[in-house]
Amino acid sequence: MSEQSAVDVENVSRSFGAVKALDGVSLKVRRGEIYGLLGPNGAGKTTLIRMLVGLLEAQTGTVTVLGRRMPDIDVLRHVGYMTQQAALYPGLSVEENVRFFAAINGVEDGVKEAIEMVDLYQRRASEVSTLSGGMRQRCSLACALVHRPQLLLLDEPTVGVDPQLRVQFWEDFRRMAESGTTIIVSSHVMDEAERCQRLGLIQYGKMLAEGTPGEIRDIAGSSNLEDAFLKLAGTGVRA
Amino acid sequence: MSARRVAAITRRLLQQFRRDRRTLALLFVAPIVLLGLLGYLIRGSASVPVVGIANEDQGPAGATIVAALEHSSAISTTTISASDGDSKLKDGSLAAYVVFPSDFSQRAQTGTIAPEMHLEGSQPGTTAPVLQALQEALVTLASQAPGASLRVQPQVSYLYGGPGFDTLDYFGAAFIGLVVFFLVFVVTIVSFLNERSQGTLERLMASPLRRGEIVLGYMLGFSVLALVQSIEVLVFSLAVLKVHNSGNVALIFGIEALMAIAAVNLGIFLSMFARTEFQAVQFIPLVIVPQFLLSGILFSVSSEPKPLQVLSDVLPLTYAVSGLRDVMVKGADLSWGSLQLDVGVVFAFVVVLIVAGTATLRRRIA
Repeated sequence: MSEQSAVDVENVSRSFGAVKALDGVSLKVRRGEIYGLLGPNGAGKTTLIRMLVGLLEAQTGTVTVLGRRMPDIDVLRHVGYMTQQAALYPGLSVEENVRFFAAINGVEDGVKEAIEMVDLYQRRASEVSTLSGGMRQRCSLACALVHRPQLLLLDEPTVGVDPQLRVQFWEDFRRMAESGTTIIVSSHVMDEAERCQRLGLIQYGKMLAEGTPGEIRDIAGSSNLEDAFLKLAGTGVRA
Repeated sequence: MSARRVAAITRRLLQQFRRDRRTLALLFVAPIVLLGLLGYLIRGSASVPVVGIANEDQGPAGATIVAALEHSSAISTTTISASDGDSKLKDGSLAAYVVFPSDFSQRAQTGTIAPEMHLEGSQPGTTAPVLQALQEALVTLASQAPGASLRVQPQVSYLYGGPGFDTLDYFGAAFIGLVVFFLVFVVTIVSFLNERSQGTLERLMASPLRRGEIVLGYMLGFSVLALVQSIEVLVFSLAVLKVHNSGNVALIFGIEALMAIAAVNLGIFLSMFARTEFQAVQFIPLVIVPQFLLSGILFSVSSEPKPLQVLSDVLPLTYAVSGLRDVMVKGADLSWGSLQLDVGVVFAFVVVLIVAGTATLRRRIA
C-alpha cells in the first residue's frame, strides 16, 4: 500500500517562531487521486504544500513524495507546483514563460499542448504583463504542468478564474488524474471540494477530518460540505 | 484642500518609517558615517608627496635650493643618490626626485640653472605641489643672487604620463571600472529581487534546478550584458574622451570584465539580505560610497590616514582600481607583480561571492 502512495506525510509539525503552522499532520494520497486540502486562510495549507516540494523542512515527522523522503531535489522533476500568486516573468510572453519552466525541468516539447490546455493559444505571444489576472493564473498552471509531472500541487489554482474556465480546469484535472497524475489542490471554495475524491480539513495546523466528500458530510451529519466544514471547525470560522 | 487629509498622509508616512528601522538608519546614521569618513580622509591624511634630492653640486647654489625644498610644507624630502631615483619612482616610494648636477653652481654663475626634475607623473594631484615647491625654491635662489639675472631651465621628465597628463587621464582609468561595477551591481540586485518578489524564485527552488545552476545562469546572463557595456565604456573612453592609455586594451577589458562579474555576484549575494527593491537601493550608499571613497579613486591609498589604509586594503575595488591604473597609466602587463596581485585579489573575490551567493540562496527563500 505504501509504495502505492504518491504522498505520505507522517506526523509532521512545523513552527514559525511562536506560531505552530502544522501540528502533527498525517495524510496519505494515492497515485492518480485528486486530494483536496481544505481550510481557512492561515490554516497551514500552503505550509504543507511547500513541504511537499522541499521548500520547507518538517521539524518533526517525515514527508515522502513519490517514494523519496523530502527534501529531495531529484524527485522534483516529477512534481509540478503552482503557487498561490501567479509566479511568472511579466516581461516574457506566455510561450516564453512556459518554455522556460519546461526547460528547467529538462523538457523541450509539450509547450504547445500546455498552452492549449489552459486556453491561451491565441495569446501565446502576449507579454504576461498585458494579461488579466485570470489569464495569468492559467499561464501559471500551464507552467506547472508542461513537464507532465506525476504529482501536481496546486495552491488555490482557481482564484480569479471565471466559472466557465474553472469547470474546464476541473475536467482537465480529472482527465489528468485518470491518466495517472496525482493532484493535490488547496482551496477554500466548497464547490471545488465536491469535485475532489478525498478531502483533508485543516485548521490551526491540525487535520480535523479526512475522507470522501460524502464521508465528511456523514461525520458532521450535515447535508452539504460547507455546513459540515463549519460544524467540524467549530463556530466562528470563516471558510 | 483639507488640512486633515494632508495630515493623514503625513502621519501615515511617519508611522511607516517608525517601523522601518533600516530606512531610519539610512537617514540618520549613514550621513554621519559617510561625512565622518570623508572628513577623516581629507583632514586626517597628513602625508605629502615625498621628493628625493640628489645634490651632486660642488658649490653653494644646490645647497640653497635643497634648504628651501626641505623647508617647504607642500612636500617632504629625503636624500638619495641620483642612480637610485628611477627605481624609487617605480616602487612608489618617491613622487619625484630632483638632481643638482656637479656643475650646478658653476652654471648658476653663468646665469642659467638647469636642475633635473624627474616626476613619477601618474598622479596629477602630487605632481602639481612638487613642481610648485621647486618653483618656490628656485625663486629663493634667484633672490639670493643679487644683480645677476638668473635664467631657470628645469629639465622635467616624466616616468609615466607626461606634461599633458591631466586629471581625466588619472580618474578615467579608475572610472572605466567603477562605472561598470556600479551599474551592473544595481541592475543585478534589483532584478534578482524581482525574481524573489514576483514568486518565481520560489518556483525555481521547487524545481530540479540546483542552487549553483541558478547562480551560474544568472552570472552568465548578466555577464553578457556587462561585457557589452564594458566594451562600450572602454571604446568611448579611449576613442572619444581620449583618456591616456599606455597599456594593452585587451588587458583593460579583462580587468573590467572581472569587475563586472564581481558586481553580478555581489548583487546576487546582497539581494539575499533585502526583501524589497527599496531595501536593495539602500545598499547602494552603504556598499558603493565607502568603496568609492576608499578604493583610491579620489585619494590615493598611500595618502590616507593609516587606519583607513587598512580598510582600503581589504576592499576589492582598491585592487581593481590599482590594476586599471597600472595598465593604463603605467603600461603594466601581467609580468608585473603588482598587477598579478591586483588581478588575483579581484578573481578571489569573485570566487568567494559565487560561493557565498550559492550558500545563502536556499536559506533565505523561506
